[in-house]
Parts: sequence; structure tokens; C-alpha cells
Amino acid sequence: MAARNGKNGLLEKWRIDEKPVKIDKWDGAAVKNSLDDAAKKVLLEKYGYAENFNLVDGRLLICTISCLFAIVALIWDFLHPFPESKPVLAICILTYFIMMGFLTLYTSYQEKNIFLVSVQKDPAGMDLNHTWQLSSSLKRFDDQYTLRVSFTDGKSKHTREQEITKSVGAFFDGNGTLVMDQFEKCVSKLHNTLATEKKTK
Amino acid sequence: MLSLDFLDDVRRMNKRQLYYQVLNFGMIVSSALMIWKGLMVVTGSESPIVVVLSGSMEPAFHRGDLLFLTNRVEDPIRVGEIVVFRIEGREIPIVHRVLKIHEKENGEIKFLTKGDNNSVDDRGPYKPGQHWLEKKDVVGRARGFVPYIGIVTILMNDYPKFKYAVLFLLGLFVLVHRE
Repeated sequence: MAARNGKNGLLEKWRIDEKPVKIDKWDGAAVKNSLDDAAKKVLLEKYGYAENFNLVDGRLLICTISCLFAIVALIWDFLHPFPESKPVLAICILTYFIMMGFLTLYTSYQEKNIFLVSVQKDPAGMDLNHTWQLSSSLKRFDDQYTLRVSFTDGKSKHTREQEITKSVGAFFDGNGTLVMDQFEKCVSKLHNTLATEKKTK
Repeated sequence: MLSLDFLDDVRRMNKRQLYYQVLNFGMIVSSALMIWKGLMVVTGSESPIVVVLSGSMEPAFHRGDLLFLTNRVEDPIRVGEIVVFRIEGREIPIVHRVLKIHEKENGEIKFLTKGDNNSVDDRGPYKPGQHWLEKKDVVGRARGFVPYIGIVTILMNDYPKFKYAVLFLLGLFVLVHRE
């Protein structure tokens, strides 16, 4: 009992979900990532949607397969020194670069800028589930962050989108700490606009 | 715990994101590996890029020059040409010029080498009892070169701690930094 509590305690001390997010305000990638994560948090925690990992898993799968081919090439070449391993090496290398091309296509066309696919389960369990997707963009060296919420009705398969563009300066203070309240307000407004549209239709 | 702020991003990651960071690192290593193996397959040489380690070929090649090799079966080895070879039992490739060749009718050859800047031929460094080199000892022929860049490789080999420190820091950076 004591041992298990100890392990949980260590894991809790490692994860810092509750600490306010502080990043380097000049690092564009970190800014976008922290905004994306905060938007995710709002949708998953405040509205209680369940995250659907299929898109991310697809990318992880492609990457894992590519690495496996590289490992196979490495081990084969180690066991059968060079000239004999040429055909196997050639196959592995070609496959690896084809998988790389595949990965690029996948991230560009399938994933686009989507960083969250979540499912709003129907409380009664009767109707089909609705899908909420979040995607965002932040250009290099630009301060305009665009957040796009898209709602797909489970029954009609009809998709509605709403987006908002704001300067990142509206959500971060001078030290680079994310002001969660402001951002949450913004995301919730976006979400509720789409949700009410659904009700009125 | 120590306030290692740069690890904050990592601490906020879920399992999938952590796995992706490791995969990212793996992909970079794999890409480098595949490019190297790709060069091996394309050039036919088991070490397509070598660094000149000694001054035995001056003034043609200096210590620290980077050489690009090919090892095609069709290239005949002729007297006067520069070849890169390995002596049996030694890892280090040597870049010297061919001095003499004995050739059989079926194309098998035995050849002797000497560095331009050396006063004697290479029989001394050859394996005890070995007087000639054969095609199987050849790593390749130099097709192009870049001067001085190889000095970094020589430094990394002379000071391995420096090499491990650089690799460790690079690895850490890739693992911790989110795209």
C-alpha cells in the first residue's frame, strides 16, 4: 500500500497538469502548442468530450513502421556484412523513403492542422455521437492565432465550422504565462455559438 | 524536485506525445542511417565517405580531407591510380597510389601500393606474410573531395568525450523540444 502510494506520488510530482503554463513568448512553436493544449483542455475537461486518437495513432503507426524498416536494415547489414546485404538494404531504404513520402502526404492532407478530434456522447445513449474537431494555425513570426472549431452532426453528417483569429498577446501576459481564463472564455464562446446553431436548426 | 523549467513541456505531455517525441528522435537517427546505407548501396563501397588521416599523400591529399568513394566492379585498377583500401585485420582505411600490378587472364589482380609522401612502399604495414593486395581489400576509388572538413571527425575520434557530449546534448534537445 505504502509502496503504491509512493509510486503515485512520484508520478504526480512529475506531471504538472495544474501548474500555470509558462513558455518562452518569443518561441512561436511553443506559443501555438500551449494554446492548442489549452483549447484541448477546455473541450475535454469543461465539456467532458472523449478524445478520439485515430488520427494521431495513424501518424504514430507510419513512423513506427518506418523505424522498424530502418532497424531491420541495420541488423541485417550487421549480420551479413556489406556486399551480400545489398539487395535487402536496397529494399529497406526504398521502403523507408516511400514511408517518409507517405507520412508527409498523411500530415498534409489527412491531419491538416487538426490537433483534436473529440466525441460528444449522447447522454441518453440513443442518438449517434457528434464529433467536435479543433484545428489551428499560427504563421511563423506572426502573432495572429486562428482557432477553428468544427461540429459534425452524428445523424446528418453535416459539418459546421466557426473560426476566430486573435493576436496571441490577448492570451499571454508579459512573462509568457498563459492566462487560462481569457482563453477559456474565447474557446467557450466559439463552442457555444456552434452548439446553439445546432439547436436552432 | 529541481526546477528544471526546460522539462516543463515534457511533464505536460500525455503518453502518446511522449511516444511521439521518442519516435521523432528515432526518425532522425533512422533517416541519417538510411542515407548512409543508401550511399553504400549506390556507390558499392562499404565506406562511401572517408577522412584522410595521415600526410602520406601530400601534396595531393592532406590530413583532414574528406573523400567521396565509389567501388564499381567495372572500374579497372591501373598503375598510377589512387585507391582506398583496408589491410586485413585493421579498421582504418588507407589512401595510397598503386605502384605495381600482376594481372591474371580472368581479371584477378594483385597490386602493391605506396604513399606519394612516403619513402618506401606499403609492404611494411601489410599483414605479416602478405606481399600484395587484392580487389577484396579495396574500399573504393576517390571520385571527389572536400578539403579540411574531415578535421572535425579527427577531433571527435581523438577526444571521444567531446563526441559523446555533443551527441548527448543533441539527443536531449530532440527529445525535449516539441515541433
